[in-house]
Amino acid sequence: MRTIGPGSIASLLKIALDVAYAVLWAVLVILVLAFAAALLALPFLANNAHVAGTLNFDGQPASASDLFKHWPMLVGAALAVDAYVGVLLIIFFRVRQVFATLTLGDPFQPENVGRLRIVGLGLIALEVMGYVIRLALLWALPVRDQGAWSPINISGWFAILVVFVLAEVFREGARLRRDAELTI
Amino acid sequence: MPIRVNLDRVLVKRRMSLTELADRVGVTVANLSILKTGKARAVRFSTLDALCRELDCQPGDILSFEPGPPDDPDDGAFEGG
Repeated sequence: MRTIGPGSIASLLKIALDVAYAVLWAVLVILVLAFAAALLALPFLANNAHVAGTLNFDGQPASASDLFKHWPMLVGAALAVDAYVGVLLIIFFRVRQVFATLTLGDPFQPENVGRLRIVGLGLIALEVMGYVIRLALLWALPVRDQGAWSPINISGWFAILVVFVLAEVFREGARLRRDAELTI
Repeated sequence: MPIRVNLDRVLVKRRMSLTELADRVGVTVANLSILKTGKARAVRFSTLDALCRELDCQPGDILSFEPGPPDDPDDGAFEGG
Protein backbone atom coordinates (compact mmCIF):
# COMPACT_ATOMS: atom_id res chain seq x y z
CA MET A 1 0.00 0.00 0.00
CA ARG A 2 1.24 3.47 -0.84
CA THR A 3 2.35 5.84 1.91
CA ILE A 4 1.18 9.08 0.34
CA GLY A 5 -1.32 9.83 -2.39
CA PRO A 6 -4.69 8.48 -3.50
CA GLY A 7 -5.56 5.11 -1.97
CA SER A 8 -2.82 5.34 0.63
CA ILE A 9 -3.14 4.93 4.39
CA ALA A 10 -2.38 8.64 4.70
CA SER A 11 -5.31 9.59 2.49
CA LEU A 12 -7.67 7.42 4.58
CA LEU A 13 -6.33 8.97 7.78
CA LYS A 14 -6.78 12.44 6.29
CA ILE A 15 -10.43 11.69 5.58
CA ALA A 16 -10.89 10.40 9.15
CA LEU A 17 -9.20 13.52 10.58
CA ASP A 18 -11.29 15.87 8.41
CA VAL A 19 -14.53 14.12 9.39
CA ALA A 20 -13.63 14.07 13.10
CA TYR A 21 -12.66 17.76 12.94
CA ALA A 22 -15.97 18.71 11.29
CA VAL A 23 -17.95 16.59 13.77
CA LEU A 24 -16.15 18.21 16.71
CA TRP A 25 -16.97 21.68 15.40
CA ALA A 26 -20.62 20.66 15.07
CA VAL A 27 -20.63 19.18 18.61
CA LEU A 28 -19.04 22.35 20.02
CA VAL A 29 -21.61 24.58 18.32
CA ILE A 30 -24.47 22.38 19.56
CA LEU A 31 -23.07 22.32 23.11
CA VAL A 32 -22.62 26.09 23.22
CA LEU A 33 -26.16 26.62 21.90
CA ALA A 34 -27.54 24.08 24.40
CA PHE A 35 -25.65 25.77 27.22
CA ALA A 36 -27.03 29.17 26.22
CA ALA A 37 -30.54 27.73 25.94
CA ALA A 38 -30.24 26.09 29.37
CA LEU A 39 -29.16 29.39 30.94
CA LEU A 40 -32.13 31.14 29.34
CA ALA A 41 -34.48 28.35 30.48
CA LEU A 42 -33.49 28.50 34.16
CA PRO A 43 -35.80 31.41 35.07
CA PHE A 44 -38.63 29.67 33.21
CA LEU A 45 -38.09 26.42 35.14
CA ALA A 46 -38.01 28.35 38.43
CA ASN A 47 -41.50 29.66 37.75
CA ASN A 48 -42.84 26.34 36.42
CA ALA A 49 -42.01 23.65 38.94
CA HIS A 50 -44.27 21.13 37.19
CA VAL A 51 -42.06 21.34 34.07
CA ALA A 52 -38.93 20.78 36.10
CA GLY A 53 -40.62 17.77 37.66
CA THR A 54 -40.76 16.09 34.25
CA LEU A 55 -36.96 16.17 34.01
CA ASN A 56 -35.08 13.25 35.42
CA PHE A 57 -31.49 12.34 35.97
CA ASP A 58 -30.38 8.73 36.30
CA GLY A 59 -34.01 7.62 36.49
CA GLN A 60 -34.75 9.91 39.43
CA PRO A 61 -37.20 12.78 38.80
CA ALA A 62 -35.54 16.13 39.42
CA SER A 63 -37.48 18.81 41.16
CA ALA A 64 -36.95 22.52 40.59
CA SER A 65 -35.27 22.76 43.98
CA ASP A 66 -32.90 19.95 43.00
CA LEU A 67 -31.98 21.81 39.84
CA PHE A 68 -31.36 25.06 41.68
CA LYS A 69 -29.42 23.42 44.47
CA HIS A 70 -26.87 22.11 42.00
CA TRP A 71 -27.09 24.65 39.18
CA PRO A 72 -23.67 26.26 39.77
CA MET A 73 -22.08 22.84 39.52
CA LEU A 74 -24.19 21.93 36.48
CA VAL A 75 -23.20 25.18 34.77
CA GLY A 76 -19.58 24.51 35.64
CA ALA A 77 -19.81 20.96 34.27
CA ALA A 78 -21.44 22.24 31.07
CA LEU A 79 -18.66 24.80 30.66
CA ALA A 80 -16.07 22.08 31.33
CA VAL A 81 -17.64 19.87 28.64
CA ASP A 82 -17.49 22.81 26.20
CA ALA A 83 -13.85 23.39 27.13
CA TYR A 84 -13.18 19.66 26.73
CA VAL A 85 -14.47 19.72 23.16
CA GLY A 86 -12.57 22.98 22.56
CA VAL A 87 -9.29 21.36 23.62
CA LEU A 88 -10.12 18.36 21.40
CA LEU A 89 -10.51 20.80 18.50
CA ILE A 90 -7.10 22.35 19.23
CA ILE A 91 -5.55 18.87 19.29
CA PHE A 92 -7.19 17.89 16.01
CA PHE A 93 -6.18 21.22 14.44
CA ARG A 94 -2.53 20.59 15.33
CA VAL A 95 -2.65 16.94 14.24
CA ARG A 96 -4.09 18.06 10.90
CA GLN A 97 -1.23 20.57 10.56
CA VAL A 98 1.28 17.78 11.22
CA PHE A 99 -0.56 15.59 8.74
CA ALA A 100 -0.50 18.32 6.10
CA THR A 101 3.32 18.29 6.26
CA LEU A 102 3.22 14.51 5.79
CA THR A 103 1.04 14.77 2.69
CA LEU A 104 3.49 17.36 1.33
CA GLY A 105 6.19 14.71 1.79
CA ASP A 106 8.18 16.61 4.42
CA PRO A 107 6.97 15.71 7.93
CA PHE A 108 10.27 16.35 9.77
CA GLN A 109 9.82 20.09 9.98
CA PRO A 110 10.93 21.87 13.16
CA GLU A 111 7.42 23.33 13.56
CA ASN A 112 6.00 19.82 14.06
CA VAL A 113 7.92 19.47 17.33
CA GLY A 114 5.95 22.37 18.80
CA ARG A 115 2.71 21.06 17.33
CA LEU A 116 3.20 17.63 18.90
CA ARG A 117 4.04 19.21 22.24
CA ILE A 118 0.80 21.18 22.07
CA VAL A 119 -1.02 17.91 21.32
CA GLY A 120 0.62 16.35 24.40
CA LEU A 121 -0.27 19.33 26.59
CA GLY A 122 -3.81 19.20 25.18
CA LEU A 123 -4.09 15.53 26.11
CA ILE A 124 -2.91 16.35 29.65
CA ALA A 125 -5.56 19.08 29.82
CA LEU A 126 -8.20 16.59 28.62
CA GLU A 127 -7.22 14.07 31.30
CA VAL A 128 -7.36 16.69 34.04
CA MET A 129 -10.65 18.10 32.73
CA GLY A 130 -12.02 14.56 32.56
CA TYR A 131 -11.39 14.15 36.29
CA VAL A 132 -12.96 17.54 37.04
CA ILE A 133 -16.04 16.81 34.93
CA ARG A 134 -16.53 13.36 36.44
CA LEU A 135 -16.13 14.65 39.98
CA ALA A 136 -18.53 17.51 39.27
CA LEU A 137 -21.12 15.16 37.79
CA LEU A 138 -20.71 12.70 40.66
CA TRP A 139 -21.41 15.53 43.09
CA ALA A 140 -24.26 17.07 41.12
CA LEU A 141 -25.88 13.91 39.77
CA PRO A 142 -24.94 10.99 42.02
CA VAL A 143 -24.79 7.80 39.98
CA ARG A 144 -25.56 4.41 41.47
CA ASP A 145 -22.55 2.49 40.14
CA GLN A 146 -19.60 4.52 41.33
CA GLY A 147 -17.37 1.46 41.54
CA ALA A 148 -16.94 1.49 37.74
CA TRP A 149 -15.11 4.82 37.87
CA SER A 150 -11.35 4.33 37.73
CA PRO A 151 -9.37 7.12 39.44
CA ILE A 152 -6.46 6.97 36.94
CA ASN A 153 -6.75 6.44 33.20
CA ILE A 154 -3.48 4.59 32.57
CA SER A 155 -3.93 4.29 28.80
CA GLY A 156 -4.59 8.05 28.54
CA TRP A 157 -1.40 8.94 30.40
CA PHE A 158 0.50 6.35 28.35
CA ALA A 159 -0.76 8.04 25.15
CA ILE A 160 0.50 11.39 26.49
CA LEU A 161 3.91 9.85 27.13
CA VAL A 162 3.97 8.44 23.58
CA VAL A 163 3.11 11.85 22.10
CA PHE A 164 5.96 13.56 23.98
CA VAL A 165 8.37 10.80 22.92
CA LEU A 166 7.22 11.31 19.31
CA ALA A 167 7.82 15.06 19.68
CA GLU A 168 11.44 14.33 20.63
CA VAL A 169 11.72 11.88 17.70
CA PHE A 170 10.51 14.67 15.40
CA ARG A 171 13.02 17.07 16.96
CA GLU A 172 15.85 14.66 16.15
CA GLY A 173 14.36 14.02 12.69
CA ALA A 174 14.26 17.78 12.04
CA ARG A 175 17.88 18.09 13.15
CA LEU A 176 18.98 15.23 10.87
CA ARG A 177 17.03 16.79 8.01
CA ARG A 178 18.78 20.11 8.58
CA ASP A 179 22.15 18.33 8.75
CA ALA A 180 21.39 16.59 5.47
CA GLU A 181 20.39 19.89 3.87
CA LEU A 182 23.63 21.52 5.01
CA THR A 183 25.89 18.65 3.99
CA ILE A 184 27.88 19.65 0.94
CA MET B 1 32.09 26.91 14.77
CA PRO B 2 35.67 25.81 15.61
CA ILE B 3 36.12 24.46 12.07
CA ARG B 4 36.93 27.35 9.75
CA VAL B 5 36.54 27.11 5.97
CA ASN B 6 39.24 28.93 4.02
CA LEU B 7 37.80 28.28 0.59
CA ASP B 8 37.73 31.96 -0.38
CA ARG B 9 41.47 32.29 0.39
CA VAL B 10 42.34 29.25 -1.72
CA LEU B 11 40.11 30.53 -4.54
CA VAL B 12 41.94 33.88 -4.53
CA LYS B 13 45.29 32.06 -4.62
CA ARG B 14 44.16 29.97 -7.59
CA ARG B 15 42.43 33.00 -9.20
CA MET B 16 39.32 30.95 -9.64
CA SER B 17 35.74 32.09 -9.25
CA LEU B 18 33.17 30.22 -7.16
CA THR B 19 31.08 29.61 -10.29
CA GLU B 20 34.02 28.05 -12.11
CA LEU B 21 34.82 25.84 -9.14
CA ALA B 22 31.18 24.80 -8.91
CA ASP B 23 31.24 23.79 -12.58
CA ARG B 24 34.43 21.77 -12.16
CA VAL B 25 33.42 20.05 -8.92
CA GLY B 26 29.80 19.40 -9.84
CA VAL B 27 28.34 21.15 -6.83
CA THR B 28 25.85 24.00 -7.09
CA VAL B 29 27.07 27.54 -6.47
CA ALA B 30 24.52 27.83 -3.67
CA ASN B 31 26.00 24.83 -1.87
CA LEU B 32 29.56 26.05 -2.36
CA SER B 33 28.46 29.39 -1.01
CA ILE B 34 27.07 27.66 2.10
CA LEU B 35 30.44 25.93 2.49
CA LYS B 36 32.42 29.12 1.90
CA THR B 37 30.44 31.12 4.45
CA GLY B 38 30.89 28.41 7.12
CA LYS B 39 27.19 27.53 7.33
CA ALA B 40 27.69 23.90 6.25
CA ARG B 41 27.17 21.20 8.86
CA ALA B 42 29.24 18.55 7.08
CA VAL B 43 31.39 17.96 4.01
CA ARG B 44 31.34 14.67 2.12
CA PHE B 45 34.71 13.05 1.42
CA SER B 46 33.72 12.95 -2.25
CA THR B 47 33.20 16.74 -2.25
CA LEU B 48 36.46 17.32 -0.39
CA ASP B 49 38.23 15.02 -2.84
CA ALA B 50 36.87 16.98 -5.82
CA LEU B 51 37.70 20.34 -4.23
CA CYS B 52 41.29 19.31 -3.46
CA ARG B 53 41.75 17.89 -6.95
CA GLU B 54 40.44 20.99 -8.73
CA LEU B 55 42.17 23.47 -6.43
CA ASP B 56 45.36 21.39 -6.28
CA CYS B 57 45.53 21.64 -2.50
CA GLN B 58 45.29 19.59 0.70
CA PRO B 59 42.17 19.36 2.92
CA GLY B 60 44.11 21.35 5.53
CA ASP B 61 44.37 24.25 3.09
CA ILE B 62 40.57 24.46 2.91
CA LEU B 63 39.69 23.56 6.50
CA SER B 64 41.32 24.64 9.74
CA PHE B 65 40.50 24.23 13.43
CA GLU B 66 40.16 27.20 15.75
CA PRO B 67 39.40 26.41 19.40
CA GLY B 68 36.09 27.80 20.53
CA PRO B 69 32.66 26.81 21.81
CA PRO B 70 30.92 24.21 19.64
CA ASP B 71 27.74 25.11 17.77
CA ASP B 72 24.37 24.28 19.31
CA PRO B 73 23.21 21.16 17.42
CA ASP B 74 19.63 22.47 17.65
CA ASP B 75 20.63 25.83 16.21
CA GLY B 76 17.64 26.94 14.16
CA ALA B 77 16.10 23.49 14.33
CA PHE B 78 13.20 24.40 16.60
CA GLU B 79 11.08 27.43 15.95
CA GLY B 80 8.08 26.32 18.02
CA GLY B 81 4.38 26.00 17.31
